[in-house]
Parts: sequence; structure tokens; C-alpha cells
Amino acid sequence: MRYFSACVFLLLTSCARDSDTIKIKGSDTEVNLAVQLAETFHSDNPEVFVSISGGGSGLGIASLLNGTADMANSSRSINSEEIVLFHKKTITIDSFIFAQDAIAFVVSDELPIDSISTKTLALVLSGTYKNWSSVTSKKMPVNIYGRQSNSGTHDFVKKKLKIAFSPHAKEMNGNAQILEAIKQDNSGIGYVGAGYVIHGGSKGLKVLTVYSGEDIAVSPLNSKMIAAGKYFFQRPLFQYYKSNSYDKVKPFLDFEKGQIGQKIIKEAGYYPVN
Amino acid sequence: MDVKKRETTDWLLKQLFKAIGLITIVLLGGIFMMLIYNSIAFFAKVNPVDFFTGYQWDPGSVDGNYSILPLLASTGLVAAGSMLIAVPLGIFTAAFLSEFAPGKLQAVLKPVIEMLAAIPSVAIGFLGIVLVGPGIAKLFGIQNGLNALNGSVLLAVMALPTIITISEDAINAVPKTYREASLALGADKWATLFQVTLPAALPGLIAAVMLGLGRALGETMTVLMATGNASAMPGGFLDSIRTITATIAIEMGEVPYQTTHYFALFAIAAVLFLITLAINFLGEYFANSLRKFQA
Repeated sequence: MRYFSACVFLLLTSCARDSDTIKIKGSDTEVNLAVQLAETFHSDNPEVFVSISGGGSGLGIASLLNGTADMANSSRSINSEEIVLFHKKTITIDSFIFAQDAIAFVVSDELPIDSISTKTLALVLSGTYKNWSSVTSKKMPVNIYGRQSNSGTHDFVKKKLKIAFSPHAKEMNGNAQILEAIKQDNSGIGYVGAGYVIHGGSKGLKVLTVYSGEDIAVSPLNSKMIAAGKYFFQRPLFQYYKSNSYDKVKPFLDFEKGQIGQKIIKEAGYYPVN
Repeated sequence: MDVKKRETTDWLLKQLFKAIGLITIVLLGGIFMMLIYNSIAFFAKVNPVDFFTGYQWDPGSVDGNYSILPLLASTGLVAAGSMLIAVPLGIFTAAFLSEFAPGKLQAVLKPVIEMLAAIPSVAIGFLGIVLVGPGIAKLFGIQNGLNALNGSVLLAVMALPTIITISEDAINAVPKTYREASLALGADKWATLFQVTLPAALPGLIAAVMLGLGRALGETMTVLMATGNASAMPGGFLDSIRTITATIAIEMGEVPYQTTHYFALFAIAAVLFLITLAINFLGEYFANSLRKFQA
């Protein structure tokens, strides 16, 4: 939840010289993972400090632009408007894909549905299907729990399905709040990063498998299928940095690519880039 | 000390204090100008008629729907709901405190009520998510409690300290002779309260309600967390809503600068500013008329 979590400073950054601190801001989806990576990285390299904070992909990129961050975590690729802004300031940036994320669609475990096609999903999330009777045997109004529009996840689902979200969709503060709401709401459907439902459907929840076209339904928790790029809602997690600060962030990037980094990524419920 | 030096010091200090006093006005003026300036930039791109009459706020869509109406309706709904709860509660609490409560109880209650104002809005929003929301869902047999009613209950709690404190001052300020005259004519305590004391304190009570309402309209964090933020036009208290303040808070962080969407946020902020300004002026007006009445 972006408002109270995610302001982790590894040791007091004020004690360290500024040049020794890698400041990373951005995606809330990535923040937990980034903190874990940074903690391990710092205990291996005590002389380098890493500070991580969340706030959304858009905020991270904006921070990179105005110089308050060395690196931006982003769960979406940089958009054309932002590229123009970087151009205007004559800042060149590079990107690095450090992991892959899958978006899981979650419903209550009392809803008689196990898999859903991308076509149906688009109709449900855009508000065309207002009642579950269009999809299942149950007659209940559909309640959509999504993220706020500054979330990369929100953006991703919207673009991937090529829809506009129903204006009745509730906009929650974060992944955890969506899960809590769906636990209580039999008629709810929501989307969260797979890292949040890593142990399958926890109590009261069910993770839907998704199929597009005539393919078989794929679970967002199936790492083999994701490695093969078969899940419809999988996306690369980007880290953007200014080209001229590459030397500063390189040790951290190398660490993420390394064995320990990849292991942490897997354990956190994300998928390594092969 | 020679007279000239004294006069210079006097003049300097006067100017200094005047300048400090004026800073507030300059600040207010500056903020107002900035809002208006950016709003004009917005209305240069979007027809004001669409802005006030459309039915959808969806800046992300291709053609960009910028209608303040659902946001205004949401803000109005949640604030009106909170006043429905907070006004009777607040005024009767104030009446109890000033007319009936024994001195000791009063000494305890007053600081406790004022402490309510010290609870951060984030904490109240959190209560709305974990406690009030689920309670409302259960009570009304609906699936989720993140709706206007939830926001109203929370905002009522937040507006209560303002309403109680100012109402109590107003009721206390009613001259004792009024009550004595009423009692002497044979009216009992209740008749005196409802037919003499409260009507006499009415301007002050209205001021209290106005200031409480201003608080409810401008509150951001609580409604952002507890009302579901669905941008559709609300149909009732059990619908999820999205207020003007929450919209600005959610969208300001991601909006690219100097775009229509960016200016639109200033435009809705300007509308909210004008509404709260009007309400505060009304409150001040009634508070002043109370002061005159006592003098």
C-alpha cells in the first residue's frame, strides 16, 4: 500500500555520502522485491547504500527526470510523452529488465469459475457484463477492484485488453487492499501482481487461469509457461537509469543479474529473465 | 533615548508587523491566482459547458472526458451525509456540555473531544477500511463497504470536534438572563434549551456547521482510502464515489505537466476552492453576527 509502506532506507542515508547511495524510486509492484534485493546487496557490499521507495511507476520516472532518483523501477515501459520530456532536458536513459511479473486475476473461491478467456475478461472489466450470470451460473452483480490510475498495473491491464475500465470499478490503494476486499466480497474480481498470490489462492481467494484464442488456460503461477512467454498478462519489470550514472548503478544491476539476485527474484514470486 | 530614534523603531516595527500580516494574504492571493491561471488554460482547451454538464470523468480515454459533475456529486454526497450525522450529534453534545454536564464531567469530556481532532486522517481512513466499511457491508447486506456512507461516517467523526467546540462557545455566549427569564416564566429546562437558548445561539451554530462542512469538503486522505474511488456518477449512499480531493491526489502524481489533464486538475481544484471559500465566508458571517449580538 503505497501510502504507508515502502519507504525503506537501508541504514541512515544521511550518514553516507550522497555519491555512495543509489536512490531507487517507482513501482509499488516492484518495491518489495527491490527492498529484498537491496538488503542482500548491502550486506554483501557494506560500502554501497541503496534507498528504495514506492509511489508508482509514473512517479519513479518523474523522479528520474527531475534528478531525485538514480534509478526508476517501472512495471510499464516508458511512454512517448515521457520520452519527449527526457529529450527536452537532454537526458539519455537506458533500461534494464531485471525480472518478469505476471498479473493474476483473483476472484472469491465461492464463485463457480476457474478459468476465463481474455475476451470475457475484457467484457467484465469494461463493464459490459454487469452480472456474473453472463459468465457463470451465479446471479450476482460484478464488483471490480482495480488499482488507481497512477499504477503501472492498471495501465498494463487496460492496454493489454484494449479496454477502458468500467467507471464503476473501485480504485484501491494497493495489491493487498484488493485481496482483502475480494476475500470479503463473493462477487468481486480484481488483479494483483502474482507475487501477492504466490501460494495459490489463499483463504477465500481463487486465482483464475487465463486463455486467449484457442490456447490452453495458463495460470500466472506456472513458471514454466511464463518462461516460455505463454501467459497473456506477463510483463517485463523495467529499471530505468540515466546513461551517465551507469557506473554508479552497475554493481547493483550486476547483483540482480547474478545467481543470488535471481534466486531472490524467484522466491519473491517473480520470474527471472532467461 | 531621543525621540527620533524611538519614532524610527516604532515605524520599523509597525512596517515589519504589517508585512508579516500581509504575507498570509499574499499567499492566499498567489494560490488563488495560480489556480485561476491554470484553470483558464484548461478552459481554453475544453468547453466549460462540457465541464459542468458532462457525466463522466475519464481523462485517460482517447477523447478525454473531463466532467466535474460526478466528482462534484460525490463530494456533495459524502459531505452532506457527514453533516446529517455530525450536526445533530455535535449540537446536542455541545448543548449537553454547556447546559447539563456537571463540572467534573465537562472538564474530562472537552479535552477528549478536542483530541478527536488530533487523530491523523490516515488513521481514520484505515479504520474505515478495516472496521466501518465491513460493518456497513454487513449491516446493509451488501458486498463491500467502501462507499459514500462509509466516507460520511468517518468525515462526521472528523468534523465533530470543530462543530462541538464552536457550538459550545455559541451556546455559552447566550446571556444567562435569557435562561433565567425563561425559567421564571415557568418553562422547564428542555423548553428553555429548545425554545430559548438554541435559537438565540443559532448564528453561532450555523457558523459551527459551516466550518465543519468546510472540513468535510476538503478532506482527502480519509475519503481516498475509504470510499472506493469509482468515478461513475453516484446513485446513492451505498455506491462507491470519488471526490474532487481524491481525484487530485490520485492523478496529480502521474499526470504529465502542462497537458490538458494537468490543467483539468487545477480547474477542479479551483471549483473546490471556491466552494470551501464560500462556505467559510458564510461561517465567518454568521460567527460575526453572533459577536455583534453579544456586544
